[in-house]
Amino acid sequence: MFGKQKQNIKNESEDYKGLEIDGIFPPLKKEFFTELKEITNSPADLIIKDVTETITVAYIENLVDGQVLNDQIISVLDKSEPSIPEALPNLLNIPIFKLAGQKKEIIYDLLTGNVLIHIEGYNLVGLANIAAAPTRSLAAPENESQVIGSQVGFNESLATNISLIRRLIRNPNLCNEEYSVGRQTNTPFSVLYIKAIAADENIDIVRERIANLKIEDLIDSAMLAELIEDNSYSVFPQMLLTERPDRFCDGLLNGKIGIIVEGSSMAILCPYSFVEFFHSREEQNLRWQLATFIRLLRFSAVFLSVFLTPMYVASLTFHYEIIPQPLLIPLSESRAIVPFPPIIEALILELIIELLREAGARLPTKVGQTIGIVGGIVIGTAAVQAGITSNILIIIVALCALASFTTPNYMMGNVIRLLRFPIIFLAGFWGYYGIMLAFCLLGIHLLRQSSLGAPYLSPLYPPRILDWGTAVIRLPIGLLKTRATSNGTFNRKVHNEKAKPQRDDVMKE
Amino acid sequence: MKSMNSINSNHKINAFLIVAIISSNQVGVGVMGFQQQLYQNAKQDAWISVIISFVLAHLAVFIMIKTLEIYETNDIYEINQDIFGKLIGNLLNVLYITYCGSIFFLILKTYIEVINTWVFYNLSPWFLSATLLLLLIYAFTGNLKVIVGVSFFSFVITFIWLFSLIPPLEYAEVQYLLPVFQNNFSDILKGTYSMTFTIVGFEIINIIYPYIKDKKKVNRYAHIGLLGTLLIYFPILLVSLMYFSGEQLSKTIWATLTMLSIVRLPFIERIDIFMICFGVVIILPNLCLYAWAVYRGVNSMIKISLSAFIWSFSALMFILTLFVQTLTQLNDISRIFTHVGFFAVFVFPFFLYFLALIKRKFRKTQVIQ
Repeated sequence: MFGKQKQNIKNESEDYKGLEIDGIFPPLKKEFFTELKEITNSPADLIIKDVTETITVAYIENLVDGQVLNDQIISVLDKSEPSIPEALPNLLNIPIFKLAGQKKEIIYDLLTGNVLIHIEGYNLVGLANIAAAPTRSLAAPENESQVIGSQVGFNESLATNISLIRRLIRNPNLCNEEYSVGRQTNTPFSVLYIKAIAADENIDIVRERIANLKIEDLIDSAMLAELIEDNSYSVFPQMLLTERPDRFCDGLLNGKIGIIVEGSSMAILCPYSFVEFFHSREEQNLRWQLATFIRLLRFSAVFLSVFLTPMYVASLTFHYEIIPQPLLIPLSESRAIVPFPPIIEALILELIIELLREAGARLPTKVGQTIGIVGGIVIGTAAVQAGITSNILIIIVALCALASFTTPNYMMGNVIRLLRFPIIFLAGFWGYYGIMLAFCLLGIHLLRQSSLGAPYLSPLYPPRILDWGTAVIRLPIGLLKTRATSNGTFNRKVHNEKAKPQRDDVMKE
Repeated sequence: MKSMNSINSNHKINAFLIVAIISSNQVGVGVMGFQQQLYQNAKQDAWISVIISFVLAHLAVFIMIKTLEIYETNDIYEINQDIFGKLIGNLLNVLYITYCGSIFFLILKTYIEVINTWVFYNLSPWFLSATLLLLLIYAFTGNLKVIVGVSFFSFVITFIWLFSLIPPLEYAEVQYLLPVFQNNFSDILKGTYSMTFTIVGFEIINIIYPYIKDKKKVNRYAHIGLLGTLLIYFPILLVSLMYFSGEQLSKTIWATLTMLSIVRLPFIERIDIFMICFGVVIILPNLCLYAWAVYRGVNSMIKISLSAFIWSFSALMFILTLFVQTLTQLNDISRIFTHVGFFAVFVFPFFLYFLALIKRKFRKTQVIQ
């Protein structure tokens, strides 16, 4: 039984050889286009048009710019009929024009928006790139909103995204390397970095990992991130996915390597350390004292969010003596009517909040907000009055949920959400010892992680006190002397000199 | 002399992390209950015993580093094999491995005892030892960089313990420290001797030395590490001497924890349960580093892979913890190892340095001939 299954899979892999297209086309028109239709399986949107008796154009309908096609190509070809393909480049005014003979190149270019110009009797064809696929107009990023700052986000077109970045970084050292991966999809993606700032070893690692990719399809950049990251089994992300061009450029300027995938509005930045996931671009736009305060608030919120509910569960189940005396009476009153032990109570409430959050994410906006408020308040109050939970626990669970939203990165926020559940289990069974085990386990796991080979907990361990100015607090720009070493960059000097703040003539009469 | 197990430069650590390694390796379970034995010997001059003990430790570290500097890139196992020859060298290494393994066992068992006494009376010790050993395995298989990371974080977190000394100061009586120097000096020295188990831990420099990047700064950071431990032990001892009256202290087994139990914060009534569970963070680097010492020792004799070693070592330790049941048995074992530890840590390094100097001169004269 198993032998047969194995054989089936083996045969399937031999079929994939059919995707390899090699060789050249026959020169005569009829045979050329018969073979073309056979290879592309006669799609309904492949238009083959005879301009004259000897000249034919072929293109995929919705991928080309119709206006340019008519004005620049068909009318020109009609007026002056070229007799050899080599005359085409001089004749047509298309900026990206080439002559090609290999089947693979012709088919691939035809499918990405080129117009094929065939002259009878030659198998060398002209390919004019006039692709104009419809794209979404630039909109504000949905998942990474910011109070102060630019409100432009990436969209799904690779060309548009790169143009957004080039608008922010006008530097000849901004290198752009394009690759394509995926046997079925041939998705193009660009690797961007600033040459003198990004570390060479990081670039080599990224190039090597991309070269080793052998995958079927690539639909979103998150999939690419999972394929080339250090440890895809870990719960913590090692590469950042961002929708904001300013965040992306910030990363590039600090020595990170960025990857933008066609068809995905999220760009990848690597290497990223754990502490940097809690940084927000907004902090550069605020005053530095405010930014430092918000960042420290964020760190403590994350810590509380993970450990507060388990501490409640552990204290009420095993260690009553930890609860301060004035709080004991209201707590025991509210717990007296609840029939479940604290761990079940906490798990029920946490699950209800997770359900509300998932449901709210999928519903259309108008209904979603109502459900959130109604569900939260009504279910919460009703649960307390029915005696299923205590109201102190509702406050704690709601605070924890709110605190996990403070992370500026959606991925990390989800991770924090998820981490709470096993720790609640451990706390319910083994009290504070269980929480301590979870804490140590998390700590050791973070110590073992690496992001593109650099340690994951970078400015905290190995301790680099000079980098704490950017990692833990936000120093004013005048005091910022170096780029973070966690990116492995050697170009560390940053020349930030403020203009003289005072005018010389203030003190004069 | 070239190292047998040459170390990849990727695995090397910075010198200033030695502060964390030495300090976190010293602060272990000893800090929880070292005052009782110390007081019984030295009475109210116990703080002088601590200072003398640390002076001896500084000397011992100095000699150890001088010995290691003679052989640039070798740890103590290879030094032993070089000086004494293969057979006796390996025998000494086995003794050293047994010493490290028994300290490991003592730390593990004492901590399990603490948890059983203070936090969870009924929790089975085998569960505690199994979970601690699993944590150890997870940290160990991450190689030395994770172990050093654990010791760094433990070093930073240990200083929080000092804040818990502020509330007992309210009840402190400075007269308990007086009169000074009433006791014989030999009593004070007996106190120093009894502190061995608490202060031991700096000999890990013997094993970590080959992994350090800039070897010139090792001396400086090792002594800073010892000072760090002194900064933790000395206030704790002073406050316990002032807080407890004499008879009380000689009868209190876990003096530091008893002092911790009176601390009261506005939102937490008793922090000792909290802090004892934090003890996992304090003993974890001890366990990891001693296991690393045993691993390097075993590796210098037989080639064994990291994960095979740590699983078998943990299984062995787990079985051993099932045998020792009561605190009195533990006390007997720890008393034996005070003697062994004193010899291995304070006496043997001088001996080794002397022999290493002779060997170097011998080798030099041979070359000249």
